[in-house]
Amino acid sequence: MIYIGSEVMVSPLGMTAEENWNSLLANRSGIAPADRAGFAGEQVWLSKIPSITGSRRFEKLVMQAMTQIEKGIDRSILSSSRTIVLLSSTKGELEDDINDPFGSIAGVLVRQFKLANQPLIISNACISGVLAINTAGGFIDAGIYDHAIVIGCDVVSDFVVYGFQSLFAISNKPCAPFDAGRNGISMGEGCGAMVVSSDRAVFKNNPLELLTGTSANDANHISGPSRTGEGLFRSVSRTLTRHGVMPGDIDFICAHGTGTVFNDEMEAIAFDRLALSRVPLNSMKGYFGHTLGAAGLIETATSMQMMRHGVLLKSQGFMNTGTSIPLNVITANEDKKLNTILKTASGFGGGNASLMIRKI
Amino acid sequence: MGSLKEDLKRQIIEQLNLEEVSVEDIADDALLFNDEGLGLDSIDALELIVLLEKYHGIQLTNPEEGKEAFRSIDTMAEYIRKRKAD
Amino acid sequence: MSFITAYCSLTEDVCSVNGTAIIGRDHASADSWFKQIYKQQELAYPKFYKMDMLSQAGFLASELIKRAIPTLTAAYNDDEIALVFANRSSSAETDQRFINSYEHNGAPSPSLFVYTLPNIVLGEIAILNKWYGENMFAVLPKFAPDFYLDYLQILHAAGSKAILCGWLEVTQTQTEVLLFMVEEKGTGIMECSKQNLAELWHASFPAAK
Repeated sequence: MIYIGSEVMVSPLGMTAEENWNSLLANRSGIAPADRAGFAGEQVWLSKIPSITGSRRFEKLVMQAMTQIEKGIDRSILSSSRTIVLLSSTKGELEDDINDPFGSIAGVLVRQFKLANQPLIISNACISGVLAINTAGGFIDAGIYDHAIVIGCDVVSDFVVYGFQSLFAISNKPCAPFDAGRNGISMGEGCGAMVVSSDRAVFKNNPLELLTGTSANDANHISGPSRTGEGLFRSVSRTLTRHGVMPGDIDFICAHGTGTVFNDEMEAIAFDRLALSRVPLNSMKGYFGHTLGAAGLIETATSMQMMRHGVLLKSQGFMNTGTSIPLNVITANEDKKLNTILKTASGFGGGNASLMIRKI
Repeated sequence: MGSLKEDLKRQIIEQLNLEEVSVEDIADDALLFNDEGLGLDSIDALELIVLLEKYHGIQLTNPEEGKEAFRSIDTMAEYIRKRKAD
Repeated sequence: MSFITAYCSLTEDVCSVNGTAIIGRDHASADSWFKQIYKQQELAYPKFYKMDMLSQAGFLASELIKRAIPTLTAAYNDDEIALVFANRSSSAETDQRFINSYEHNGAPSPSLFVYTLPNIVLGEIAILNKWYGENMFAVLPKFAPDFYLDYLQILHAAGSKAILCGWLEVTQTQTEVLLFMVEEKGTGIMECSKQNLAELWHASFPAAK
């Protein structure tokens, strides 16, 4: 069995998993108006962490998360040659070193935490986080490593805000995934982290089980979602089949749900093809914004907290069905025992990835 | 007003990096987004919005507006004249 | 056991397939080096001109590898072919160009922005070939045989059968491109081992660290 636990979240909603959970339970969102953040000096809705300031914000976030990871596990695994650190990010420290955005962080992690192995940096657009967790599962399954610390981090920068503005993909209000009135994403920043291990004993709190998933390319367009949801359909199908899980066994789906018209529609089509359209589903992007390379980690960590607390969290920003096939989007927090959950992600470059987590 | 159309063709070739295309290759009424025409895609459409602002000072706030305007060189020129007359 | 069944390298001056140079750069040409290869090899994919350098390099090398293995596409299902690429500086070259578009050229360019992710080259290859398999892009300090060998194990366990691996470091000052196809069928050119990968790397880029 592959264990997953010791999840950590750093976001505008809190600096620890517990603080984040309390904010989420109160349905608070980290998205707020940021004055003059747009290319033409306009206001843009962003989910930014005001307490992390100055240069090296990316590194500060990663360190914040790693310090908490240390507290949740047997510390000795950090420096073990059987441990790998996987870092998921799209833009790394772009703001600090445009020519070498990932050149510094790996060395800092090695020195600070006396790591035996060079961290592996995974950069696959918005599916990076889910892919990194799956890579951790794959490494352990193959016996290459016994433990993996998976971190996902990205910060909001002019670069990404202007870029998504140029695609007309930024919402003019807090993003509203799957809602009829959705009109784009809200950018967010944060860091999520967790530990994946073959050994239950390394966790101070009870871990959950990782059912390692798969990825699939849409083979359709580098920046536009597939109209048929083919890649997402294939990724989830393979993930289910790999573990002999039936669609009816899934208690909750933590969808990608960016809040753009085409992405959310694509997901609805894929979930319908998978016979998953009636499963309770949310998107966490209404709380955290789209945190790019951190999204898979932060959203999986939130799903794990939901399983631990037995609560289905409302999909923030959703009011009315806005996809051609209705999904069972959660409209209010609800107590529910969650045994098996599905996490999905889709992104630029046509990538789709999925994984499942099961209660032990 | 033939020169506006010529300018547009040159600007499109430059803005979209259409290395294999010359001004003469683009007919005024050819459908820009059709494979029989220039075969442009959705990202090119956004790049045309940048072009309109950069060279003609025209802002488009909704990409949907561009759909009709960007059908062909003829419709683009017509759109620019109309916006400038407003 | 798995085998390298074809490989293609691009340096600043030479494009080679399976260790044999097929074209050298003409420094007098007005065309870019990648465009020279595209034309000389008579490739026909107009989207090539819209791609950034990383995607152009991946496109060229993957097309040349396909030519070297004519049976490849017919031998596998469309989701059995996976892509595992890596480099050192992510999409830094295109990132710079995108920043330049909004700092010095009036407005952020959408067509540059969509290439400011290193994994876009994987998407381009998947789209062209209709390959629905697994994709991975990693950022590593240098070419590392262990990374590919480890990830190949993971992909094999997940059902991938033909895996196109690649190192794609393309900047203003450097061209280090090495793509190699790894299959379990047949005998290939060489076994996909740590030593062979290291030797392949040194043969392709003798001056590299």
